Amino acid sequence: MTDVPPPLNSDDDIAGTPRWVKVFGIIVIILVVLFAILHLTGHGLGGHAS
Amino acid sequence: MTLRPGQRKFTLTAHVTFSVGWLGAVAGFLVLAVAGLTSQNAQTVRAAYLSMELTGWYLIVPLSVASLLTGLIQSLGTTWGLFRHYWVLIKLLMNLLASVLLLLHMQPISRIAAVAAATTLSNTDLRGVRIQLVADAGAALALLLVAVALSVYKPRGWTRYGRRKQREERAALQP
Repeated sequence: MTDVPPPLNSDDDIAGTPRWVKVFGIIVIILVVLFAILHLTGHGLGGHAS
Repeated sequence: MTLRPGQRKFTLTAHVTFSVGWLGAVAGFLVLAVAGLTSQNAQTVRAAYLSMELTGWYLIVPLSVASLLTGLIQSLGTTWGLFRHYWVLIKLLMNLLASVLLLLHMQPISRIAAVAAATTLSNTDLRGVRIQLVADAGAALALLLVAVALSVYKPRGWTRYGRRKQREERAALQP
């Protein structure tokens, strides 16, 4: 964090949520859903009690 | 609260040291988890789980807390802020998530270490937990690598809050 933050003046900054954040969010949602499905269907990693 | 240049360098050095140390410790933890799961040597298995408990409690947990604290100081003490840029916000959330999951998973680690200390673990004993430890360590390593990449690349992107604060500060500076 030594660099100074970029100024708020480009079109990308004003446009709203950047594309990389959306892609990142989609990947996170996929991973969370996958994790939930694996656990709910009993194909998880065995849980803490096994 | 704005850090002076010397303070900023110091906290940045501390933050990088703790964060990269955390990454290295988790990599070592993953090696031990794989060894504990796959080794046919009873002494290696026992040593692996005992080492994992020590590494977890006395290295990984302190490093994760130190990384979180120095990251908070670094972001709040500079113009980056904590909620102004997506990469800082995402790193904060990832750090919090990793720290919480780590603390939750220290219980099974201690349990398996206690069993390993008392008896000889066979391949089937506590297999679910042992596989889970490998998966958790792998996931944690991936998460920390993403955090490192975010810190280095600092991808652009102001949050809605950051844009609003920036406009407010600009308006306040204009006569």
